[in-house]
Amino acid sequence: MDYMMEDAQNAAPEAHETAKLGASTQRSDKQSVTKRLQSELMQLMLSPSPGISAFPNADGNLLSWTATISGPSETPYENLTFKLSFAFPNNYPYSPPSVLFKTPIYHPNVDFAGRICLDILKDKWSAVYNVQSVLLSLQSLLGEPNNASPLNGQAAELWDNNPQEFRRLVLARHRSVDDDE
Amino acid sequence: MPMHLPDASLSHVSPYYNPFHQQDYLAAYLDHYTRSPSSLIPYSIPPLVDLSQHPNLRFPAMESLSREELERFQKLSNEYEPDVQGPLVSAKRSTHAISVEYANADPTLAAKTSALVVTHPFSRIMKGDGNCGWRAVAFGYFESLFTLRDPLRVQQETTRIKSLSRLLDQVGQQEHLYEIFVEATEGVMMQILNSIQKRVADEAFLVEAFNDEYNSNAIITHFRLLTSAWMKLNPIRYQSFLAAPLEQYCASRIETVKTEIDEVGLQALVDGVISSSGVAVEILYLDRSEGNAVTPHMLSANPVNIATIRLLYRPGHYDLLYRADPSMSIAPIVNYQYGMTSQYIPWEQAALSFDANPHLMAIPNLTADPFFLGSAPMTPAAVPAPYLPSTRNVFYPSTQPPQSQPRPQSQSPTEPQTQPETQPQTQGQGQPQPQPPPSTMTSPSISPTQTHPLTPLPSKCSDGPQIRLNPLVMKPNLSHSLPVTTPFKNSPYNQAHFLNHDFEPIHWEPSESRK
Repeated sequence: MDYMMEDAQNAAPEAHETAKLGASTQRSDKQSVTKRLQSELMQLMLSPSPGISAFPNADGNLLSWTATISGPSETPYENLTFKLSFAFPNNYPYSPPSVLFKTPIYHPNVDFAGRICLDILKDKWSAVYNVQSVLLSLQSLLGEPNNASPLNGQAAELWDNNPQEFRRLVLARHRSVDDDE
Repeated sequence: MPMHLPDASLSHVSPYYNPFHQQDYLAAYLDHYTRSPSSLIPYSIPPLVDLSQHPNLRFPAMESLSREELERFQKLSNEYEPDVQGPLVSAKRSTHAISVEYANADPTLAAKTSALVVTHPFSRIMKGDGNCGWRAVAFGYFESLFTLRDPLRVQQETTRIKSLSRLLDQVGQQEHLYEIFVEATEGVMMQILNSIQKRVADEAFLVEAFNDEYNSNAIITHFRLLTSAWMKLNPIRYQSFLAAPLEQYCASRIETVKTEIDEVGLQALVDGVISSSGVAVEILYLDRSEGNAVTPHMLSANPVNIATIRLLYRPGHYDLLYRADPSMSIAPIVNYQYGMTSQYIPWEQAALSFDANPHLMAIPNLTADPFFLGSAPMTPAAVPAPYLPSTRNVFYPSTQPPQSQPRPQSQSPTEPQTQPETQPQTQGQGQPQPQPPPSTMTSPSISPTQTHPLTPLPSKCSDGPQIRLNPLVMKPNLSHSLPVTTPFKNSPYNQAHFLNHDFEPIHWEPSESRK
């Protein structure tokens, strides 16, 4: 018995073991991502924040979500609702999700393709940020654009110099996404 | 769907002018060439702007460049991949490889790395992906615990690290988010415990655990969050070293997923997470400063350490170093300072800022007086003596004749009971005042009658240290009056010597106010 044990230990088929390990590691990573996203979803449902919501897409893939934020009051985005898409990487939360505005939005830090310029979605991402904190950050970005690094230069300028025109363009650009779906 | 939204990671042409991202690319590219390979861009930024389609882009710094150059830069930038190869944590290997890297480099680096091969023959290379410093400390910490092979200690550490979660709660981190990081750390602790109990031969399992990127990231994130919480809870210690407000620093440098650790962060990591384990962290700087050896710097303030994590620092990058024999703590270097020599006398001399006869200095009450007895400013006559000096003066000459040798004054008269041998003398003289016990050292030259008829010696008993003047016993006084210095130890293992392998520079703790 002892000898058999010894043999089994000594004759470690390294390549095989590594391959097996790699596969199991990947599986456990996926489980970890899933677990994390489920926990976030749970949190969103248990303690919802006013003006934001998010839910995984119906396709059963927990790695892509759709979210909505409502424009903060006393901003040009008041009474408007914006839809966003979240795509989570396989190593989430150690890389940020890709977040896009699906609803067309006129904003200094969002381009016309819906891409967002926000440091916490890039190099300032932290593994404790989450769907809820990203949505809250985006909501505050609506009321406080970072005009120092605009994606939409005209919007940045109008925000500072011509609020009426800014508001007009916000309303002109806004469309409800649901109408088209 | 109302519009086609290209996946950010795939898009390569954007119809939109995008100055912000453009600058990102340039920065990424420049980084590649101006910084060390290990100062890494956290993410490969998706190429959103194709310069070839925007010939009229205006960037002040780039205006002098031709369009071809810009295109070439853009291409390089787009294809930029940080120079990160190899495993996250390498196997232990010979430090010789590092010295080979520098063989043809600056002579100082070549000399320092060759010396490193002798003093620290083994090293472990960290992947330069922005987390190398964090990873080196975390790995070194777990490896130290495994190397100690003390199951109880591993259990204690597991409990301690888990208990640090209260720091996370205190700064408002949500448990449902941080629990996976704590679990990862705990998992490695369990692996260590099992491996110790199964008498696993080497730390390969730990290297494997750290090369599982997801797991590794979780542990590093855990350590990052603990460090950040520690800093937020101890802002006074760190804020003055930071250019930005501490909260902002933590958000942008500590809690992020791939930001290299800096000195302040490293100190906070050691203070908040590592230090209480008794594991010390020492940085060995490899730079072109003068000298033939890497410059060591001890980050831990613990008086006693159970192990030491040794980090090799090259600008922007940390690796791990290992000494030849952990039990060998005396460097094969002649130490001309005090505290490292087996000879008794020289250190005394060296310890004093003035030139003193060590024989004399070994005798209490004589501190510096052989040299200053004649000089008025040094006579302690101004110091009020608690007892009558004249009594002593009479006393001494009277005691000497019965004895065959001159007897130096030694102990304080207020502590006569410590030396029972003095009893016979006391009886013989019938003096009510306790007689000083004999000194452990006899020196024929320092009989008070021989040196000077004045009275300074007895009075010095009262105000000066009642003990031999040596650096070891000076310790308490020093540490209370001079926060920048830590006492020296009269030990061949003295860490305070700059050539000692465990060299620990004496540093002032901002948290300790002057007393």
